[in-house]
Amino acid sequence: MTLWLERHVPKLVLAPSFAAILLFVYGFIAWTGWISLTKSRLMPKYDIEGVQQYTRLFDAPRWDVAMNNLYIFGALFIVIAMVLGLLLAILLDQKIRTEGVLRTIYLYPMALSMIVTGTAWKWILNPGLGLEKVVQGWGFENFKFDWLVNPDYAIYTIVIAAVWQSSGFVMALFLAGLRSVDSEIIKAAQVDGIPTTRIYTAIIIPSMAPIFLSAFIVLSHLAIKSFDLVIAMTNGGPGYATDLPATYMYAMAFSRGDLGQAASSAMIMMLVVFTIVVPYLYSELRTRND
Amino acid sequence: MARAVTPQRKIINTAAAWAVGLAIFFPILWTILTSFKTEAQAIADPPIFLGFDWTLENYKVVMERSDYAKYLWNSIIIAGGSTLLGVIIAVPAAWSMAFVPSRRTKDILMWMLSTKMLPAVGVLYPIYLLFIKLGILDSQIGLVIVLMLINLPIIVWMLYTYFKEIPGEILEAARMDGATLKEEVIYILTPMAVPGIASTILLNVILAWNEAFWTLNLTAAKAAPLTAFIASYSSPEGLFYAKLSAASTMAIAPILILGWFSQKQLVSGLTFGAVK
Repeated sequence: MTLWLERHVPKLVLAPSFAAILLFVYGFIAWTGWISLTKSRLMPKYDIEGVQQYTRLFDAPRWDVAMNNLYIFGALFIVIAMVLGLLLAILLDQKIRTEGVLRTIYLYPMALSMIVTGTAWKWILNPGLGLEKVVQGWGFENFKFDWLVNPDYAIYTIVIAAVWQSSGFVMALFLAGLRSVDSEIIKAAQVDGIPTTRIYTAIIIPSMAPIFLSAFIVLSHLAIKSFDLVIAMTNGGPGYATDLPATYMYAMAFSRGDLGQAASSAMIMMLVVFTIVVPYLYSELRTRND
Repeated sequence: MARAVTPQRKIINTAAAWAVGLAIFFPILWTILTSFKTEAQAIADPPIFLGFDWTLENYKVVMERSDYAKYLWNSIIIAGGSTLLGVIIAVPAAWSMAFVPSRRTKDILMWMLSTKMLPAVGVLYPIYLLFIKLGILDSQIGLVIVLMLINLPIIVWMLYTYFKEIPGEILEAARMDGATLKEEVIYILTPMAVPGIASTILLNVILAWNEAFWTLNLTAAKAAPLTAFIASYSSPEGLFYAKLSAASTMAIAPILILGWFSQKQLVSGLTFGAVK
């Protein structure tokens, strides 16, 4: 008996996690997929009716806005956060005296709820109160910064806040990467008189390719899941100018009583994640196994 | 990249790094400062940075009017409970994957992690309905379970990366000396794994503390934690910046303080163990 136990304990202890994730994720996704094929409105119905929820979804202008916002937001957020994070890491890698404390400060935004820090951003970006007034006070009377309430630009304020939240995290990843670059190679390059910028672009940055990949995966997953950021700062507004797929789904399920639409939008989001993120994850897996 | 830096360069670099640090910290600092202003000073034109009459009035009002203690208690129970439960389930799983790996271990691990990439909205509604059926909508236990499940892949993954670094030879030596499985786990593995477990716990507490998607959707009056409290506060009182700031400051203070005193774990946790 004890022998049997010892042999099977590894599998037994893994089973609860395995089962929980299996049921929780796939079981419920299957349910959502099923509902997306029905005529459910306020309450779920289980008679399959075909793909009409999806045609309705693609015809909805609001969904168009949400998907467009996801592309704009996702692309800008990922690129800017990566570039800023890399620059911050290089800055912190210059033998700064109080590096430990600074690293913590850079990471703080990531540790705090965006629901809460969104308050400060609302104030800063508020045309009547924050940045606009401060700059006008400096003598630039004509300075205008009303992106938060301008339907054409509101999504960019979400990008600003998201970059603020995540660039410290990217910095920490890159900083660890910079530290792991072989210092012998760098010394050799320095002895050969190669300029510092060239050392960075030709040796250090290329050697951190795996970190770019991890950062990309985490950032894209943050972008697709961004929900609290929008809720805290604009609540999807003005109008539905800053809707993202997650807030669209939320609005359909809980304020519009349109469960079928909510389910089909959730399935499309799922598809987007699968096509973008999962291939990267598996390529990562393969290189690690080699 | 370690290399020689002249003293002047060092001062310039440090100043630049601190300037960036201040800019990053500014929104947090501003929230804290605003919480001590009167409502009129909070929206003064031009904005007042430090020369205002410090007051605790906002804190008093927020505490009296909104039952802050109840939300705080809910946050503590939900964050603490889901973390504890998650770690209890994940430690054995991570242990078995790190020390008794099979051919499939890597695949299982990647699969678990990949589920974390899926948007939560896909499973929101079924859980919502299930919770109504079970009568645990808007309850602490319901949220503890959901947040535990949501973060389980990350806990398992992080613990695994830490456990991986514990040399297997030590375990073999212990086994040679006749240690049983139980003794091996309690006397050898656990002490060596404590730093990793601490980072994992801190990360998970932070994630659960900040969780807004599930708490907003699955709670109402009874089990709502601080995030839901702030969200509810910001709509009807949208113009009362000082009071909202006081409420916000009270919501972020525990994380700010906890993070400050465990900086190493904070960095390690928030980077999912990539920075040890």
